[in-house]
Amino acid sequence: MADIKRTWYTIWTFARISTKRFFRDRTALFFGLAFPLVFLFIFGGLNSGGGDVSFNVAIINNSESEFAKQFVKEAETGGVLKVDNDITTLDAAKEKMSRSELDATIELPADFGTIKGDSTYPSGEVQVLYTQNNQQSAAALTSILDAQMKAINGQFVTSVTPFTVQGQEINERSLSAFDYTFAGLLGFAIMGMGIFGPINVFPELKKMGILRRLSTTPIKVWQYFTSTMISQAVTGIVGIALMFIVAITVFHLEVVGNWFELGVLIIVSMIMILGIGLALGGWAKNERQVAPLANIIVFPMMFLAGTFFPRFLMPDWLQNVSAFIPLTPVIDGIRLIATEGKHLIDILPQVGLIGLWLIVIYFIAFRVFRWE
Amino acid sequence: MIEVKNLKKRYGDKQAVDGISFTVKKGEIFGILGPNGAGKTTTLEMMETLRSIDSGTVLIDGIDVKKHPQKIKYIIGVQPQTPAFQDKTRLTEVIELFAAAYGEKVDPMAFLRDVDLEEKAKNYVEDLSGGQKQRLSITTALVHGPKVFFLDEPTTGLDPQARRHLWELIGKVRDKGISVIMTTHYMDEAEVLCDRIAVMDNGKIVAIDTPQNLIKQLLERGFKKKQHVQQANLEDVFIDLTGKELREGA
Repeated sequence: MADIKRTWYTIWTFARISTKRFFRDRTALFFGLAFPLVFLFIFGGLNSGGGDVSFNVAIINNSESEFAKQFVKEAETGGVLKVDNDITTLDAAKEKMSRSELDATIELPADFGTIKGDSTYPSGEVQVLYTQNNQQSAAALTSILDAQMKAINGQFVTSVTPFTVQGQEINERSLSAFDYTFAGLLGFAIMGMGIFGPINVFPELKKMGILRRLSTTPIKVWQYFTSTMISQAVTGIVGIALMFIVAITVFHLEVVGNWFELGVLIIVSMIMILGIGLALGGWAKNERQVAPLANIIVFPMMFLAGTFFPRFLMPDWLQNVSAFIPLTPVIDGIRLIATEGKHLIDILPQVGLIGLWLIVIYFIAFRVFRWE
Repeated sequence: MIEVKNLKKRYGDKQAVDGISFTVKKGEIFGILGPNGAGKTTTLEMMETLRSIDSGTVLIDGIDVKKHPQKIKYIIGVQPQTPAFQDKTRLTEVIELFAAAYGEKVDPMAFLRDVDLEEKAKNYVEDLSGGQKQRLSITTALVHGPKVFFLDEPTTGLDPQARRHLWELIGKVRDKGISVIMTTHYMDEAEVLCDRIAVMDNGKIVAIDTPQNLIKQLLERGFKKKQHVQQANLEDVFIDLTGKELREGA
């Protein structure tokens, strides 16, 4: 019993002092805490505002009619269109469209909105001009305008519409682009802290003979690893918590899942990924040995696991392969719990895969570790 | 306290340690001298459990190093050639860490006081000078009350004042009844500090005795110094035994 207490006193003391060291070290603080936040701001900023559909258009009004003026004013204030007011000629519009800065140009002919012939109401044809590479947004824009015209038409000519279409949103909430991005960024942060920490620190400790000196004491490798895990979990949780705070307050992330389950998943994931760093750093004799190997592992894992773009964009065969790399179940698991409200019991494939990698990675890490 | 019998270690085709034997008594300072590549550090590292033993035995306090390395670690303290500590660690924390490595909780201030570092207690290790790091390292090697203390070239690169300070500390360690085994390249250091010395060359021990006896023996063989009649120091013994030829890495 006393032995167990001593064993854990060793682990606890090493974990405590190594955690303190992290918070005293500005470089570690920057890469551990600030760096992921920078990414969060960049990628979060790219995705925000993606919620509303809007089209960048130029409006060229060749008509003097009151109706045309009213139409332009509506278009500018309606919210669906972002009208570029600098453009007044068709040539300028064409040039901007060719650079994809504009989705389309709306042209109102000279007779638009005038009362023609013996009719009693104004009429006209709105022309939507677009280039080849903007077909999709132009088609969407055309149908929006078409619907608006129909509504206007109804005011002048009463007509019967036996068949109608009514769109209705049924999901209270669905995944936004930011939900995917955030889970990916958490994965990125977990990977950064778990892998880049040990592969930088361990070769340095070996070079200075610090690990060698430690190996003349009775401390065991598993005690040293466990203390590293604990301190990593503490510092990692601080970093992850900061990311959640920013995501919730700045980017309106809505966490619907259970915080406790989310915390458990994140901590276990951090420990699993840390194992990769411990294996690499524990094996390498020096920095030069570890850098190429770390790059071979880190970069493919980062892109294939859906860190920066969701995996469903990949071709099927690649999705099937990338489903099994260690970081994938971490990112998927976090998203499923945090934004889809799933429970650990619902995501057993992810949990199982994380557990399996945990065993495999630490088995390797213990086998390849050397004190010098 | 220590019994080394026919100890051997081979690296490739080089016999680094070639069947050496010696004993170290309780509370004595035992010096291992020799040119670079003589096998001093390898010998020390085998005794410290850092290197595997090819053949022969090392018994420390009756425990076989080869069979029970984990038990040995509890009764030895090790001072590496260049002590290093992780940055951003306070001196008190360094002591806590090393004590914790043995599963023990100690009063860090008491150990810092032993080596005159108590006023630096709250500093980070990177603020220390070379001599202060050596002193800190010595006290960390003693946190668990070892019976044997190993030092590998403890004063290399220190100024004369720091060296003398360190000699005093090593003397105090011996006075506590701890057996000290050290290597050094400084003959004055060996002469002042060591109770007995072994001179190694090419993996073998070529002489083993007290410094005074070794000098006496050399004089009895008719050795004379050029300028001063009747006088010789340990450095003369050393060169006489191992030759003047410059060694690799010197």
